[in-house]
Amino acid sequence: MSGLRQRLVALALVLPLLLFLGVFFAWPLVTMSAEAIPQSVVARGLPRTAAAAAAWDRTTPPTEAMREALVADLRAAPDDQALAGVVQTLNSAKSGYRTLIARTVAALRGGEGPADLAAIDRRWADPAFWRPIAAETANTRPDANLLAALDLRRDEDGTIRSLPEGASANRRILVRTFVIAGLVTLACLLIGLPYAMLMASLEGWRRQVLLAAVLLPLWTSLLVRTAAWFILLQDNGPVNGLLRAVGIGALPLIFNRTGVVVAMTHVLLPFMVLPIYSVLLGIPRNLMQAAGSMGAHPIRAFVEVLLPLSARGIVAGALLVFMAAIGYYITPALIGGPQDQMISSIIAFYALQTANWGMASALGLVLLAITIVLYAVYHRLSVDEPGRA
Amino acid sequence: MTDPFIRLDRVSKAFGGVTVVDDLDLTIGRGEFVSLLGPSGSGKTTILMMLAGFESPTAGTVSLDGARIDRLPPHRRNMGVVFQSYALFPHRTVAENVAFPLRMRGMARPEVAGRVARALDMVQLGAFADRKPAQLSGGQQQRVALARALVFEPAVVLMDEPLGALDKQLREQMQLDIRDIHRRLGLTIVFVTHDQGEALTMSDRVAVFNKGRIEQIATPREIYDHPRTRFVAEFLGETNLIDGVVDRAGAGTATIRVADGTAIEAATHHALASGEAVTVSLRPERLRLSPSAEAPNALPAAVADSVYHGDHIRVRIDAPTGSLIARTPRGAPEWDRGARTFATFAPGDCWVLPR
Amino acid sequence: MLRPVRLVFGLLATLFLLAPLVAILPLGFTASLFLEYPIPALSLRWMTELFTAEIWRRSIVNSLIVGAGTTLLATVLGTLAALGLRDRLLPLSGIVRIFCLLPMVVPAVVMGVGMQVLFVRLGLANSYLGVIVAHTVVAVPFVLVNVSAALAGIDRRVERAAASLGAAPATVLRTVTLPLALPGILSGAVFAFATSLDEVVLTLFVAGPNQRTLARQMFSTIRENISPAIAAAAFLFIAGTVLVAGAALLVRGRLSARG
Repeated sequence: MSGLRQRLVALALVLPLLLFLGVFFAWPLVTMSAEAIPQSVVARGLPRTAAAAAAWDRTTPPTEAMREALVADLRAAPDDQALAGVVQTLNSAKSGYRTLIARTVAALRGGEGPADLAAIDRRWADPAFWRPIAAETANTRPDANLLAALDLRRDEDGTIRSLPEGASANRRILVRTFVIAGLVTLACLLIGLPYAMLMASLEGWRRQVLLAAVLLPLWTSLLVRTAAWFILLQDNGPVNGLLRAVGIGALPLIFNRTGVVVAMTHVLLPFMVLPIYSVLLGIPRNLMQAAGSMGAHPIRAFVEVLLPLSARGIVAGALLVFMAAIGYYITPALIGGPQDQMISSIIAFYALQTANWGMASALGLVLLAITIVLYAVYHRLSVDEPGRA
Repeated sequence: MTDPFIRLDRVSKAFGGVTVVDDLDLTIGRGEFVSLLGPSGSGKTTILMMLAGFESPTAGTVSLDGARIDRLPPHRRNMGVVFQSYALFPHRTVAENVAFPLRMRGMARPEVAGRVARALDMVQLGAFADRKPAQLSGGQQQRVALARALVFEPAVVLMDEPLGALDKQLREQMQLDIRDIHRRLGLTIVFVTHDQGEALTMSDRVAVFNKGRIEQIATPREIYDHPRTRFVAEFLGETNLIDGVVDRAGAGTATIRVADGTAIEAATHHALASGEAVTVSLRPERLRLSPSAEAPNALPAAVADSVYHGDHIRVRIDAPTGSLIARTPRGAPEWDRGARTFATFAPGDCWVLPR
Repeated sequence: MLRPVRLVFGLLATLFLLAPLVAILPLGFTASLFLEYPIPALSLRWMTELFTAEIWRRSIVNSLIVGAGTTLLATVLGTLAALGLRDRLLPLSGIVRIFCLLPMVVPAVVMGVGMQVLFVRLGLANSYLGVIVAHTVVAVPFVLVNVSAALAGIDRRVERAAASLGAAPATVLRTVTLPLALPGILSGAVFAFATSLDEVVLTLFVAGPNQRTLARQMFSTIRENISPAIAAAAFLFIAGTVLVAGAALLVRGRLSARG
């Protein structure tokens, strides 16, 4: 029974999952984070030249350092394929790079030490052929996408400013995400807290029915539930039928904020009810009776006794609901209108429709950071010693 | 004790810096029934787990029949273990539970069946072979656990509070059964318990544990009548403890002077020196209440309280040496509060402990 | 005093929770072209459509392929890890566990973006393997949680008893630990299958047109041309989950009866 042996066995058991999640869960997140940092094709292909050109005034002839850097970059390029992107980008700024680069690479091949670029091609003596290189590599700063995700940008002098009103909607969507998640959390709390209390106060089959009513939706596919709300809330759906029957008349319930909040509340309600319920179960029933025996009105007893004791469950439930809600995609995508799309929808839009990985990743990073912070708080609460409110 | 069959030599065990077993020696003879008795946390269960192989000693050696076993994994130690709350396999029938150790030893099926049947008959559970443990009563589960630990004829059987979950009547029946099986099969049994009555009635020898050490190991009679330390005297049964100083030490007896000046004649095996601080242990059932002071030791006392207990009467008296408890047989005269009496006892009724 | 209020609230809340599930199922058997009440007549046309229309049939098959692969991979990886994390023998066991549960927390869209970029580089994009791997990432925490709970419920002494009776560690695992943890492993597997069946977001990011799953097909049908086929698919979904869960329960029951 050597401890080391047992530890090795434990390691061997955990390692497969750890490796799997390392490759297929952590690595994608790292990849995404890397994508969020923009790098121009030219800067990637000609890193030394990019660095050297940063100090250049773009009117005087290219400096010695720039020329040496370019020679080194071109010699370091593994093959023509690696430079294809560079040539394409530079060509779109000024034509002639295809032949220029090809000729230069051919001339440099096999050689070592300093080389006279102007002798290989006269165009290298012309600042006009260096300017696109400098422009392409200087424009992009590492935090450009992250700032853009928050509707910010860096000016020429480096100060961070807001984008002009209407230029981008990211910040508005971020605020909207918080608002919708907050509304859903509030709705869940308003229904979930009394529901959990009712469930804890009942016994026998009544409690079982209420518990089943929470668990059944939880076990049902999210997609099915969203589809069900789609059917219920549509203009000629059962809910509007009911409203018409009682004389209120049909209301617009789908493709707007109301529909999104209703459907998301339904989907997330179990996450509010269950933590509160489990905390309430641990509170001795006779506490409320004791409070009553000492003369406390039931409402007073609730505020003074039950509420503080169940605070843990309420906070845990609220965090859980809020955390899940800010990352929601499917329900807003299907039930909401254009004005109800949340940050996930925008990320999906950038990634799936416009192939703008940089922006998708930067927004993804923002969402990830918010979620991790909320989860850390939630975890802190849930591992705290029980019994402390 | 015959030959040293199980031997723990200077064994220590620490869990994360906390010493649970402290430099302990213990020798158990072949065929002996030894109880490890002590409060929880005294190290008795840890000793059992080290014998079974679930814990390894931090220092020291454990040997069985002359061979070291402290590096051997549990499944190669060939010891039958009866666990607290039995640890039956809930997913297997009674017969499968009992067959398990035989199958592990690669025994042929027909032989397994025969042995299982015999083992179940021994514990009178032949009719329950196809039940699941959950379908049995606590006492029946206990007997399955016993049959399972015995069926492969292990050299040693270890029992960890095996009767703790049973009610009083069942427990006493099982105590007799286990003692009977022990005699019949000539097993070596190490029995962990915190129930002193159980330890006294079942064992050849009792080891009293305290804070990771053995305070005393001896026969039940010796341990009860001649406890070596104050802890042992207090842990086994009820006792009155009177602090005093040795006035005169003789052969086998001593005169102890108590704070108020009273002198007590007491028997002792210890070599005592005059002026040594000691404690006199006086069992309540040895204390007699009598109207006259005609005894080697007679303390004038007043009755403070008298409580009827069915088979005896418990009387609390105030004597010059402090408050004492006496057990008087039923049928003895009832005592009124404040009644004057003498608490009398012979030197052999009390026992001197070093302090 | 508060009686009527409690009763009304309880009824309304239960109605809110259950109405959607009740409302969608009958529509799978409507004869109408629309998802509407009242149902004019009952018909199996939409059920038939699911199994005859190539796009639906294909997506059902894909869901079964991906679901089976995910269940297998997630159950094996999750069960092994739960065994390894059981005794907290490893340094940082707590942190390792949190890391393994993190896919439950990280928004699917965030994982999707990263996977889309990475899977192209790894050559996993638009492949069954890629979809299975992505689904396993989100399914495996459920297996870990379920199996860990089952292992925590096993009385340590039962395993020690097996060792004391002569079973080597591997034998203890095979004859005692795994059989006793089996209910947890089975629920973990059911959860993994259900997660895979329901997963849309990651599928959108990593699957190609050939790996279009039932959930993905439902998603775009609701989005683009809603039809009662949705309700029929929802029925299939619920029936599938109930069937798998029922099968798991049955196996569990059979195992505990046989021992």
